[in-house]
Amino acid sequence: MPATQETIRQVRKIDVDQYKYGFETKIETEKAPKGLNKEIIRFISRQKQEPEWMLEWRLQAYHRWLQMQEPRWARLSYDEIDFQDYYYYAAPKNQTWLKSLDEVDSEILATYQKLGIPLKEQEILAGVRKQNEASELDDSLYASGGVAVDAVFDSVSIVTTFKKELARLGIIFCSISEAIREHSELVKKYLGSVVPRADNFYAALNSAVFTDGSFIYVPKDIRCPMELSTYFRINERNTGQFERTLIIVDEGSYVSYLEGCTAPQRDENQIHAAVVELVALKNSEIKYSTVQNWYPGDKEGRGGVYNFVTKRGDCRGDHSKISWTQVETGSAITWKYPSCLLRGDSSRGEFYSIAVSNGHQQIDSGTKMIHLGKNTSSRVVSKGISAGFSDNTYRGQVMAHRRAANARNFTQCDSLLIGNNCGAHTIPYIEAKNATAQFEHEATTSKISEDHLFYVMQRGLLKEEAIALIVNGFVKEVIQVLPMEFSVEAQKLIGISLEGSVG
Amino acid sequence: MIAGQKTILTQAEAKIIDNFAVLKGEMAQRGLLLEAARKAAMDSFCKNGFPSKQMESWHYTDMRTKLIHIASCNNTKADRLLAFPLLPNNIVLGLINGQAVVSPEMKWKKEMLCATPLDKLLTNSQAELPQDFADDNVIAQINTAFVSNGWKLDILENVSLDKIIELQNIQNGGQSHVRFPVTVGKNANVTIIERQSGNNEDSFISSVSNLDTAEGSQVLWIIIRERGLMSSELNQFNAQLGKNVVLKLYVIHTGSHFLRQEINVNLNGIGADFQLREINLLSGKTHTDTTMVVRHLAENTTSKEIIRNVAMDRACGVFQGIIQVVKEAKKTDAHMVCNSLILSDKAEFYTKPQLEIFAEDVSCGHGATVSEIDHDQLFYLMARGIPEVKARAILVEAFFRELIEELDKEKLRKVLWRLLDECLQAHI
Repeated sequence: MPATQETIRQVRKIDVDQYKYGFETKIETEKAPKGLNKEIIRFISRQKQEPEWMLEWRLQAYHRWLQMQEPRWARLSYDEIDFQDYYYYAAPKNQTWLKSLDEVDSEILATYQKLGIPLKEQEILAGVRKQNEASELDDSLYASGGVAVDAVFDSVSIVTTFKKELARLGIIFCSISEAIREHSELVKKYLGSVVPRADNFYAALNSAVFTDGSFIYVPKDIRCPMELSTYFRINERNTGQFERTLIIVDEGSYVSYLEGCTAPQRDENQIHAAVVELVALKNSEIKYSTVQNWYPGDKEGRGGVYNFVTKRGDCRGDHSKISWTQVETGSAITWKYPSCLLRGDSSRGEFYSIAVSNGHQQIDSGTKMIHLGKNTSSRVVSKGISAGFSDNTYRGQVMAHRRAANARNFTQCDSLLIGNNCGAHTIPYIEAKNATAQFEHEATTSKISEDHLFYVMQRGLLKEEAIALIVNGFVKEVIQVLPMEFSVEAQKLIGISLEGSVG
Repeated sequence: MIAGQKTILTQAEAKIIDNFAVLKGEMAQRGLLLEAARKAAMDSFCKNGFPSKQMESWHYTDMRTKLIHIASCNNTKADRLLAFPLLPNNIVLGLINGQAVVSPEMKWKKEMLCATPLDKLLTNSQAELPQDFADDNVIAQINTAFVSNGWKLDILENVSLDKIIELQNIQNGGQSHVRFPVTVGKNANVTIIERQSGNNEDSFISSVSNLDTAEGSQVLWIIIRERGLMSSELNQFNAQLGKNVVLKLYVIHTGSHFLRQEINVNLNGIGADFQLREINLLSGKTHTDTTMVVRHLAENTTSKEIIRNVAMDRACGVFQGIIQVVKEAKKTDAHMVCNSLILSDKAEFYTKPQLEIFAEDVSCGHGATVSEIDHDQLFYLMARGIPEVKARAILVEAFFRELIEELDKEKLRKVLWRLLDECLQAHI
């Protein structure tokens, strides 16, 4: 599909040169020695003051990882990664145990402010006092559309806001390290139950060395009153970030979770291998949104974050629902397939994605919808936009098990190519093992239809405007399912939505 | 043991390697040359063995588990009888258990068409066969190692052949490995029917058709497969399309125990057009895999592929299709649709329609659906007094009929329709 000047201009805006978040925070950090071995794992576990079982769990994962091969089936090409050349633990000095925001290094606070994540202001705006003071969960909290934030800086969680207020409803929102110490039973029960320790190469690596991430537990029949969010930042040189997120939503509950990520501009590649596990019990719903904006590398393709992520949701209970929404604009390499295991009867999985690649970025991303229960349904909408010298691949699997009667899926993946040096690919795997499954898959890479153009222009719009309007529709389907807070950011990031210019 | 041979062989792999040791001498005796090529092909097979599901292009057809039995390589003396031609005037060129057969009254003008049995050419040291023994190209490996016969066809320039060429490859038990190299001259127009058939005896066949077309030619190629319950077939159809060439390929598949049908089409010339219509009627315990790669290598090329499948009983069907568009192939228009009906609880269907696009100004798309028979349509028919079984049959018939009705040759259309009708009646 030939892009309009407007679209091209908008996409250039997010070109690699214009990465806004590439600055570095200069603070003292405490690092484990370079490389990976049992000692490093013991060191991480000690730093996190973890119980013995957790260390054992990590070591077993490490043992399995040593026997595994790095997966190379994706349409990605990159040099051999030397896993011994990374730091597996980096934490701002003396920042590991904090009582309140006041103790946080001012440099870090400034960093988050620069990134537009106001940890302090938000509290004041929302009429909430400092972390440790008691405060009422008053109306102003709802009125402000408050977002509780867990900020992860390299390997540690700096601060988690609104914790007390959430605790009143019985919602646990804290860093995973804290959860391992304080909610050991819950973690023990659910950790690794969706993504097993040795699920794949990167999941095993993550299980061995994960340092921080978020933990959420929403008790029965609670609708979480605000968006919960985590902001990840890799700052240190040669550092791997291995975050682990575990979200459990009990019967009849609901939570919406947002995730954002950035990293400084560097010539060497940083590595990010996260594992996200979602558990949705009966009648519950999880909405998981990501705006991924890791540093994509420079014009020549130097540097950038290698993003190898395993995200999986388990619709364990009947009538449960998990919805993934992602906007992917960053990373030199993206290897990411947020999936849904639809185990409960009548459960539902959704996946909405916009993947924009530019410069020398390579994206191999998509989803898996595994239908196991009866009357399960899923919907996949993926929009890929490639420009520059990038490669953008959608890879998705839809599978109906023999017993998944009346499984229903609709998949749509559309690609837009801007320029003649990039590639767009679609690789869907559609596997039906029973007669009542009904799967539909559609993929296009096409010009704007003359009919549509004619229709719009007939109503008095100029050609440019008409094209802009239609292109706007290209990503709208995904933008509109993003939570408010993110859709604004996403629109800015993609720069494809041309609402304002149409009038 | 041959150098580089895999250490653990499946029964079928071991048998193929054994067969080669036996047949090598026999083929040399018959004067069938290509020794070096055969050895290279077999070496490659020994090194790689059958592809397993780890190999992306064989993801759903793990040959190590799906093809566990290979028929004996001793071809029994078969009756030297060809099948009736589909249309009375067809030029029938036959192969019965690997032996070239042509009825004496068959006549055609030499200045239009050259047809030579391949074993005659293989004794000639000039014999040349394409050799691509890539890791996942097991069909070429086996076929080259064992090829013993086939028909070489040359349709000359500016010839418009009004008679249909019917290639019959009949296998009643045993093994055969055949090849059909076909060249079509400039502005020629030809219709070729490739009939792959046989009885229910244990058989193993590999068949490779290579079609090379010159500028402006038009080819209608129809593959009809009616094999027995115990037959395993590896089939490859390779085509090179020149400038403004139009190739229409119909594939009608109604039976066999194991089938891997590969279709590789390169659109090399500007304005080339490729059309594929495929019908797969899968029943019993069959495993049928169609793997297609269409490469758009020049500007203004078009292609459209429609694949319709019905899976019954315990059948397992696979369709993998790739449309590749290179950077130079601007203004490409390529569309692929795969619709599958699953009619039994034990049947399975796997679809993997891929797009790989590197050019900007193109219109490409694919669609895939898998479902059972539409309940509304069934209800509509039953409300008009048609019993359920009949109503289902009508709907399946309509599902297939659409593709055949596109054919512009009326007589041929009727014959194909009758053929499919017989199969449908037998199964539904």
